[in-house]
Amino acid sequence: MNIYDIILKKIKDVRMETGDDEPVSNMAASSMLTAEITIISTLLIAVVMLRLLNKTLMIGSVVLIFVLAIVAMPIMPRLKREQNDSLASMSFYVIIGLGIIVTLFYWGNLNG
Amino acid sequence: MIMDTQLASLLTAGALIVIGIFGTLFLDNLIKKVISLAFIGDGANLFLIAMGYKVGGIVYIFLPGMSMSNFSQNASYPLPFALVLTSIVIGASTMAVMLGIIILLNKKYGSLSASKILGE
Amino acid sequence: MNYLIPLMVVIPITCALFLNLLHERTRTVKAISIIVALALPTVPLIANYGVQYFGGYPPLAQNPTIAVGLPTLITGTALNIFHPAITYVFGSAQKLMIVILGFIALFAIYISLYEVKKASGVYAYLMLMGTASIIAMLLSDDIFNLYVFFEIAALAQVGIVLVSKVDYNYETALKYMILGSIASPLLLIGIALLLGVTGNVNITDIVYSIQHGLVNPQSPVLLMACSLIIFGWLYGTGLPPFHTIKSAMYSKALPTGAALLQAFSVFSFVAIGIIILRIFSYLPFAHIFIIGISLVAMTLGITMAITQTDFKRLIAYLAVGELGYIGIGLGLGTALGITAGLFQAVNEAVITAFLFIGFGTIMYKTKETDMRKLGGMLVETPKSALLVLLAGLAMAGVPPFNAFQSKLMLVQASLNSGLPEIAIIMVLLSIVTFMTFMRAFHTIYLRPKPADLEIKNEKIPNITLVAMVAFLVVCLVFGLFPQIATNFLQGMAMSIA
Repeated sequence: MNIYDIILKKIKDVRMETGDDEPVSNMAASSMLTAEITIISTLLIAVVMLRLLNKTLMIGSVVLIFVLAIVAMPIMPRLKREQNDSLASMSFYVIIGLGIIVTLFYWGNLNG
Repeated sequence: MIMDTQLASLLTAGALIVIGIFGTLFLDNLIKKVISLAFIGDGANLFLIAMGYKVGGIVYIFLPGMSMSNFSQNASYPLPFALVLTSIVIGASTMAVMLGIIILLNKKYGSLSASKILGE
Repeated sequence: MNYLIPLMVVIPITCALFLNLLHERTRTVKAISIIVALALPTVPLIANYGVQYFGGYPPLAQNPTIAVGLPTLITGTALNIFHPAITYVFGSAQKLMIVILGFIALFAIYISLYEVKKASGVYAYLMLMGTASIIAMLLSDDIFNLYVFFEIAALAQVGIVLVSKVDYNYETALKYMILGSIASPLLLIGIALLLGVTGNVNITDIVYSIQHGLVNPQSPVLLMACSLIIFGWLYGTGLPPFHTIKSAMYSKALPTGAALLQAFSVFSFVAIGIIILRIFSYLPFAHIFIIGISLVAMTLGITMAITQTDFKRLIAYLAVGELGYIGIGLGLGTALGITAGLFQAVNEAVITAFLFIGFGTIMYKTKETDMRKLGGMLVETPKSALLVLLAGLAMAGVPPFNAFQSKLMLVQASLNSGLPEIAIIMVLLSIVTFMTFMRAFHTIYLRPKPADLEIKNEKIPNITLVAMVAFLVVCLVFGLFPQIATNFLQGMAMSIA
């Protein structure tokens, strides 16, 4: 089974969960595929910026993320399911975001 | 006195905010959610007003016959009091709009459950 | 005294309140709205640069008559130069941004007046109120004043969504308000912490206190204040984790409302972003964080846009993603980077408004926003199709349009800062933006018309086409002569870099 088929299957799964039973069109699948490739390549390029901290760390994380991305391949359907419009998930991410920001600023600046 | 008034106010403000966030996340009834949000707003207002507290401070009105040095050393800080009034008004109007929307939604769905109305 | 500076805010607010009272009298509402909307871009255009002290209290150092007889405790210390009044600063960067915001608001109001048979005073009221509060945010040098207008703007945005009559607009508005009621008290606490540490709400004075060692810059309270103000900034502008709700807000508004809402987001992004940079740029982590969150916003916004089936939501996500470009410029922190970021903000506000209004013509003709049910619109609306195509090219950064110049500057700035990765990501995401737009364009305009699509036999109002051409002219002028815009913006960028 090649990657295209895996993605098509995943999209169908997502469709079934959300109760949207229209056939998966070519366009929907290719959009998902583009989004998938975009997100993985952006992530990989962004990780290269770790070279400013430590080169070994950069190489390690690029390889690690590459492997993880291949293993977890269709990321985008999952990501899309997470970013839905229900208040519960939105407020959950807002609070998580608040926690991350406060922690990062507090420890990042005190120990940085 | 076990605890200084300012510290006690700050702790109360912190507690109000934490309770408010908890309520907003975990209560399902929309009216209860709005009450929790009011807690967060009140916590922020209490926090702001506690900033102007001064131990043994006097009211910041310069009356005739007061010595200027005594006034400038003892008057509490007036700015937070002015700011918090504005902030309370904003909070009240926001809450009015929210309750108005909830009335309309209650007419539409016949329910106040957030998971039913505001789920996807 | 330069009375035009406060009038930029006072005129729209007063007229807005007045319009709200008149909401049944269509002709009066129309007449007043037209005049006030014209005043929005013209007043800042003719106003001179200057500083406005409300209540007429300049700092003591500039006001020797009051300073006479005061003890040296006051005149001999920093209190002498602190600002006792709420201060509005009107410089060249503010001028350009307010003119552009006024320009967008002008056309949004005109289209809203002519697209409906009965002009609504309430809608005009909300649009003017929102515009006035964003203008005040751009002008204000007082962080609490900014917070007040931030909240008024949030309420006006909710109002714009509430009056739209789009399905599920009430639900989305309530969600936005609930999330806002979590985020804005936290922003207020951030401001309260700044006030507690420095004793001041005037930004210039806060910066002075931090830079001249009146307070300890490494104080943990300041770090906390920075994180909370940044959190409020994320909420106000719709960066992650608020990107889903913000894009939902855009998609539940009318096209004119959406065009204005995104302009509000862009300019509040700039207004608060600049304040964060001015106060906290001594923290290296602040820059890293702004770049990081901008990258996340760009990636999530644009990848989510690709997968949408509703074209309003698609543009809404693109608008959120494009905010990331401004953030990159601000986060780089160099003079070139900040100029590029501000330039991108101006361009993006115009282009996204252009796109929302352009695609709005589809809604006007068909009452349909689902792309799967649309097609063949090129035959129906050839003129607006051409304009929409040009808007899409502009958004993706194709020369000779304005976003090309600002994105090029951003790429140069990131290369100069030694971060070529950011440049690569920006180019990559621009390409994906273009692809996303072309997919929407193809589905709506080029593919054969579905059999069950009903098209209303109504002509698109001329004012809509005029507005689109006007936006196109702005795009072309800034694209061909970018120095017109950058000359206005450079001063501010130099002062905060």
